[in-house]
Amino acid sequence: MPDATLSTPHRFGAIGRLIRGLHLPLNDPFAIAGIAIYTVFILVAIFADQLAPYDPTEILYTADYDLAADRRPGEDGFILGTTSLGRDIFSQLVYGSRAALLIGITAAFMVALIGTIVGLLAGYFGGWVDLVLMRLADIAFGIPFLPFVIVIAAFLDPSIWNVVLAMALVLWRDTGRVIRSQVLTLRTRAYVQAARVCGSSDLKIVFRHIAPNILPLSFLYGSIAIGWAILTEASISFLGFGDPETISWGYMLQDAFASAALSQGAYYWFVPPGLCIILVVVAGFFISRGYEEILFPRLKE
Amino acid sequence: MALVQQIGGRLLQLVFVLWAVATILFLMFRLMPGNPLAAYIDVTFTEEQQLALMAKFGLDRPLWEQYFIYLWNLLHGELGDSFFYRQPVFDRLMVLLPNTLILAFGSLIIAYAFGIIAGSYLAWKRGSVGEQVAIPLVLTTRAMPEFWLGMVLLAVFSFWLGWFPAGGMRSPGAEFDSVGALYTSRDFLAHLVLPIATLAIYSQGLPLLLMRSNMLDVMREDFVTMARIKGLSSFTVVVRHAARNALLPVMTSFAIGVGYQIQGNVVVETVFSWPGIGRELVNAVAASDYPLAQGAFLLIAVVFVLMNFIADMLYGLLDPRVSHA
Amino acid sequence: MSEPLLSVRGLKVDYKVDAGTVAAVDDATFTVPSGAIVGLVGESGCGKTTVARALTRIIAGNARISGGEAIFDGRDILRLPEGEMNRLRWRDIAFIPQSAMNSLDPVYRVESQLREVLCQRGGLSKAAARKRSEELFEMVGIEPRRLRDFPHQFSGGMRQRVAIALALALDPKLIIADEPVTALDVIVQRQILDQLKDLQQRLGISVILVTHDISVVAYVCDRIVVMYAGRVAEEGAMRDVLTTPNHPYTMGLCNAFPDLAGAAGTLTPIEGAPPNLLHPPTGCRFAPRCPFALDTCRTTSPGLDDIGHNHPVACHRVGEAEALRAKAAQIETWAMMA
Repeated sequence: MPDATLSTPHRFGAIGRLIRGLHLPLNDPFAIAGIAIYTVFILVAIFADQLAPYDPTEILYTADYDLAADRRPGEDGFILGTTSLGRDIFSQLVYGSRAALLIGITAAFMVALIGTIVGLLAGYFGGWVDLVLMRLADIAFGIPFLPFVIVIAAFLDPSIWNVVLAMALVLWRDTGRVIRSQVLTLRTRAYVQAARVCGSSDLKIVFRHIAPNILPLSFLYGSIAIGWAILTEASISFLGFGDPETISWGYMLQDAFASAALSQGAYYWFVPPGLCIILVVVAGFFISRGYEEILFPRLKE
Repeated sequence: MALVQQIGGRLLQLVFVLWAVATILFLMFRLMPGNPLAAYIDVTFTEEQQLALMAKFGLDRPLWEQYFIYLWNLLHGELGDSFFYRQPVFDRLMVLLPNTLILAFGSLIIAYAFGIIAGSYLAWKRGSVGEQVAIPLVLTTRAMPEFWLGMVLLAVFSFWLGWFPAGGMRSPGAEFDSVGALYTSRDFLAHLVLPIATLAIYSQGLPLLLMRSNMLDVMREDFVTMARIKGLSSFTVVVRHAARNALLPVMTSFAIGVGYQIQGNVVVETVFSWPGIGRELVNAVAASDYPLAQGAFLLIAVVFVLMNFIADMLYGLLDPRVSHA
Repeated sequence: MSEPLLSVRGLKVDYKVDAGTVAAVDDATFTVPSGAIVGLVGESGCGKTTVARALTRIIAGNARISGGEAIFDGRDILRLPEGEMNRLRWRDIAFIPQSAMNSLDPVYRVESQLREVLCQRGGLSKAAARKRSEELFEMVGIEPRRLRDFPHQFSGGMRQRVAIALALALDPKLIIADEPVTALDVIVQRQILDQLKDLQQRLGISVILVTHDISVVAYVCDRIVVMYAGRVAEEGAMRDVLTTPNHPYTMGLCNAFPDLAGAAGTLTPIEGAPPNLLHPPTGCRFAPRCPFALDTCRTTSPGLDDIGHNHPVACHRVGEAEALRAKAAQIETWAMMA
């Protein structure tokens, strides 16, 4: 038995180290609320098929073969009513969480990944690598974000992946700059210098000594990017450049707007998707706030 | 001398970024799949007519030549003609630009005035129940999709209460003698309220949070304590010393805010059918009106980059540690 | 002896922290005669800066003056209503901070910071304030044209002179200087101290000079107040206290400074660290580090009793002071404590 207890930390060492390396902000009540909100939405997204009573794109009819359009919440058993095309709003809302999380998390992952790599390379190697990468960042900072995503989404095939790609192409800049300056300070630390003197390879120094210290920062910027990505996708879908195959909250809002839901006072149609977006984005803010308090404890006092 | 060098370096960077953005734009519009003239060419056009058109727009030349013609034209403010309006893109955009700027500046001035005061107040009330409620609330306004906020305001104040018009810049049939008469008319101002409110509510969070955290930092500075030891009035301590110092980064964020506002306005202008650059961009892209889309994008980019530049310069101007180095 | 300008008796200041209440200053008693420079010395954390700030009543948010009195010019400034206290600030009691860089507002010209005090607190007109500012700059040895400069454009020593000029602006009776030369190099330190001493004598003001540096005290002070762990250990005329210290802590302190130990003497640090004031020791607070501590020292705290010539000492063995001084001069005495 003693053998088993001894080997446990070894066997889960890599994963355990990764999780500890992320320094999840578990003592900040806001951060916990954020993590809880995410957990709920992730569960809804996973079990969308079980939770949604209908297919979100299915056009529904009543028992008398009447189109079940513009039903109020509760009417004919529709929890949040139906759209003017006779689709179930609640089901759309449930499936919308899938699109939102898929876009948010992949975009955030790409932003954090590109930003971290650029920051590491620029900060560690300096010289012309730094020069080129930072000029690229300058350019990325000069690109108006939303118009860029609109043009890319409109010209390429309308798919959520093009939206994600367009966002990643621009948003890596903030992460890249911050990580770079962090690497610059880390590079001068004694243990990194020591590793250098001992003849460790650049690759080893970057991945063993620098990257682990950068991880929480990447995560902070990733958690901010989730919110940005979801908001951007909503805007793009709202403007009509979204993926017509994917039911997202932005798509629902566009549908409601175009179907005169505002003038009909169909609050049940356009308020819930907005609230869902707010919840997910705010959750990201709360988590990143928790991270900031870990990374920059001065704020806490 | 160092200051001149710094400004010079920043100017060079400005030119470089503008050139890079213009180049990216060129590549985006030329390398996209499909014939850029597809929207322009009528099905009834003959082969010769189509070729003549290609020649007219210079599309029959090699790409690099087209690129230099494009850059040359840009330097002269020549953005081509809109396919749809059959008029110079530049003229069209210049008519729309003031509408966009009115929205951006109007909403930001309100947002910053509110944010600065409320942020200082929350810093002063640090740790109170009010603060505990206000901060998540402010974060919530930052998390709203702007267009959704616009939709809710429209549904409530326009369709339900009927207080304000539902969109556009003036009522149908309303005519004005001059642009000035339009911008000062009751009708125009009534149309302005909801879009400005939408943008202001969305924008106040940044100056508010920034002002609050700056105030908290500055209030801990020795010179604020010294001002109290000097027996100066509370007003002098809080406003002349603390707030004046906390305001520095907030003022620079205003310029950056204008840039972000111009590029982010796209959706709000669409919700309120506000005839601005952003909505024009969306319409042009949807209608494949390439010259207009390209011109609108470029104009937004120029304002955006210029505002970032101004923000940098403003910081130097407002902070004597930089301007009197 | 005439009535002192300031007489502090039993001053107590507490800090509220997460772990409880820290009695940073516990029963501090000392006097400041008119026209004298009084050095307030001790290790960092002994409460000397807290005493200085308590006398302005501008203290940290978690601090509280919980007892004692401070009779200044016949009035207890710890009990004055806030409005009256504020009228007294800067006009009667001015302050020179440790770092003039951080205590001058970076966004205003020095002139405007002087004018602010002269006009708002001194009731001067703009023109009069301008004249007075030039006069003040000449007094502290800076060209008046530099009034137009911003704080960051001055060197460290110059900024400290600006701080002195600011403190002198309204002709105060008392200036509290909190480590005014600590951040400067030795040569500039001397210049600033000379200047301060010269102005103090010319204008006949009193100065409380807070410092951890005994050599600074030896250089300019008339009297000295030695603090240890929130209490006064010994107080007296500078020469008396430094040549014939009566408290073991003062003896140790004198050993630890090169200027005082002289070329022949040996530098001997006092072993150990000041006590945690969250849980102060019963009895004499210096007892845990004192080589001469008896059992009584650890159970009852000694009173601050005058041994003559206005020289109060808080030590149970003050009667054997001469013998202890002889022992304290030997390095082994202190090494035993290690």
